[in-house]
Amino acid sequence: MSPTRAPHAPARRPLPGWLLVLPAVLFLCAFFVLPLIGNAARSFEGADGGFTLLRYLVLLGDRFNLGVIAETVALSSVVTVICAVIGYPVAYYLVRHAGRFGGVIIFLLIAPLLTSIIMRTYGWQVLFARRGLVNNFLVQDLGLLDRPLQLLNTPGIAIVALVHVLVPYMVLSIATVLQGIDQRLEEGAQMLGASPWRTFREVTLPLSADGIGTGAILVFMIANGSFVTLVLLGGGFQTLPLLIYQQFTTTRDFGMASAMSVVLLVIALACLYLQLRLVRRQGV
Amino acid sequence: MKGLNRRRFLQTGAAGAGLALTGAPGLLRAAEPKVLNVTAYGGVWETSIRDCFVAPFEARTGAKATVSLGAPAQWLAQVEASPEKPPLDVLIMSPDLAITAAQAGLMQDLTVDKVPNLAHIPQEFTDACLGKGTYLDYGVAGITYNKNTVPNPPKSLAEFVERVSAGEFVASVPSISYAITPIMLIWMLAKALGGSAEDVEPFFAAMKKMKNNLVFWAGPNDFFNHLASGEADIGIYFDGRTWNHHDEGADWIDFINPTEGGALTAVAVQIPKNANPLAFDYMNEMLDAENQARFAEIMNYAVTNTEVVYSDKLKPRITPWQQTAFPPYEAIGKARNGWVDRWNREIGR
Repeated sequence: MSPTRAPHAPARRPLPGWLLVLPAVLFLCAFFVLPLIGNAARSFEGADGGFTLLRYLVLLGDRFNLGVIAETVALSSVVTVICAVIGYPVAYYLVRHAGRFGGVIIFLLIAPLLTSIIMRTYGWQVLFARRGLVNNFLVQDLGLLDRPLQLLNTPGIAIVALVHVLVPYMVLSIATVLQGIDQRLEEGAQMLGASPWRTFREVTLPLSADGIGTGAILVFMIANGSFVTLVLLGGGFQTLPLLIYQQFTTTRDFGMASAMSVVLLVIALACLYLQLRLVRRQGV
Repeated sequence: MKGLNRRRFLQTGAAGAGLALTGAPGLLRAAEPKVLNVTAYGGVWETSIRDCFVAPFEARTGAKATVSLGAPAQWLAQVEASPEKPPLDVLIMSPDLAITAAQAGLMQDLTVDKVPNLAHIPQEFTDACLGKGTYLDYGVAGITYNKNTVPNPPKSLAEFVERVSAGEFVASVPSISYAITPIMLIWMLAKALGGSAEDVEPFFAAMKKMKNNLVFWAGPNDFFNHLASGEADIGIYFDGRTWNHHDEGADWIDFINPTEGGALTAVAVQIPKNANPLAFDYMNEMLDAENQARFAEIMNYAVTNTEVVYSDKLKPRITPWQQTAFPPYEAIGKARNGWVDRWNREIGR
C-alpha cells in the first residue's frame, strides 16, 4: 500500500478551540493569577511563618485606614462620573455629527495617550504653578489678582489631571455603542411625537447604557489604581495605591502592602460587580 | 538526513524556549563563573558605574560585570528571596537598609585583607554598616533655593522653619513616599530643632507651623520642577543634585549646608553572602581613589576614600562629612514606621 496520502483524503481536523486560548491562559496564570495568589498568601503570613489575620484587622479596624479606603473609592467614583458627563456629549457628537472629521476627533482623543503620563503630569505643573502660565496671566497680564493662586496640590487639580488621562476611555466606549444604535428607533420615537430631549432620554440613553457601563468600569478601575498623577500632583488625597507604594519604599512592610493590595482588588471587583448589575438592570 | 520542516522547527523552538525558561540561565552561569552581577541606579548613575568601576574591574580581572538597574528595596528583596544563591553580587544600598540587611545576616563582612582599599575609608562608614559594607559616596541634605526669588536665604534650619511659617516663601520638602524622607527631613529637622531620633515632636510641630506654605516633592526631578516652575522658592534637597542642575544651565540655583549640619545621606555598598567571590575585586575598584575621583567628578557628590584629590571645580562644593549631621540609622530604622504612620495621620502626604 502506498504511504502517500490519497488524493481525496479528508482535510486535517481543525484545532480544538481550547487549544487556541491555551497560550493566553498559561500566560495569565503565570504572570497574573499565580503572583496574585502569592501576594494574597503573603498578606496572611505572620512573622513566625504561621497564619495571621492581624494585617486585615489593623487595616479594617482603624478609622484612619477606613478613611483611606473610602477616599480611594470616592475619588474613583467622582472621576468616573465627571468622565461620563464630559465624555457622553463628545461621543455623541463624534458619532452623529462629526462626519468626515470623525477620524480627526478620534486622533485628538487618542493623541494624549501617546504621551507619557509623567510628562502630562509635569505639564500641569508648568501650567498651574504659582509662577506658571495661568497665574502669570491672571496676575501680571490681566492684573486681576494681587498674588498667585494655589492651584497645584489641591484636590481639584488632581481630579482634573485624572479626568484628562481617563476621559478618552469613556468617549471611545460610549462611541462604540452609539455607533451600533439603529437610528430608525430614534426617528420612530420622534415621528410618534417625542421631543428630541425625550427621544434622547427614553431611547438613545438607555440603548447606550452598555457603553457608559463599559466606560465606567474602565475609568473606575484605572482611577482606583492610579498612582503617578496623585504622587506628582498631590491634592491631599490619601489613597490605597499611595499607601501601598509607601509600604514598599519607606517602611518595607511587604506583608501590609500585600494586604492593602488585596483590599484594593476586592474593592475593584465589588465595584465591577455592582456596575455590571446596574447596567444589566437597565435591560440592555 | 531529515530536513527542517515546520513541525521540527516548532519543536526545536519550543524546546529551546523551555530550556531558556527553566534551566539555561543556571547552565550559562555555571559555564561562565567570571560574570558578576552588580547594581546601579538609572541615568547618570548607571553610566558612571559602568565607566568608573565596571570598566576597570573588567580590565583588571578579565571577568565581565552586568549591571542591574533598580532600587535598594527591590535588590534587597531579591536577595532575601534567594539568599543561598543571590541573583546580585554587589548591592548599592541606602544606609538604613544596609543595617537591616546586615542585621538579617544576609551580608558578608568587609575586611582589608579581602578589600585592600577599605584601609582608606573612614572606619565610621564601615561601622555604620555594622562591618558588613561601607559607604561609597555621600551627599548632604540641606537648603536649596532659587537665588532670583530668595536673595537672602536662611542660613539655618531653624531660620528656614521660621521664615517659611511666616509665609516669606513657599518651600518644597520631600513627601513621605520618598524613601529617605525619615532621615533627610524628619530626623534632620527634629535634631536641628532640639529633638532626636527618640523625640521627633519638634519636627511635627514645625510642619504644623509651615503647613500653609509647603509643597511636597515625590522625587528629585519633582523638586527641580517645583523650583523651575515657580511653585516653590526654596526647599530641602541634596547638594550634589543641586550642583548637577547648576552645571546643566540652571545658574539660578544654589545650596547651603545649614549651620546645624545637613543630614549626611550616604550610599552604602554591600556583598551578599554566597555572592560570586569576584565581588570583592569589584568592591575594591569601587573604593579605589582614582576611580572614586572620576565618579565624584561626574556625580558632583563627595566620595569616601580619604586619598581622593578633588578637582578645583569640585573642591568648594564638597562638604567634609565631619561637618554634616551623621544620622543614627539604627535608631531611625526602629522608629521609622511609627513616624510614617504619624505623618500619614497628621500631615497627609
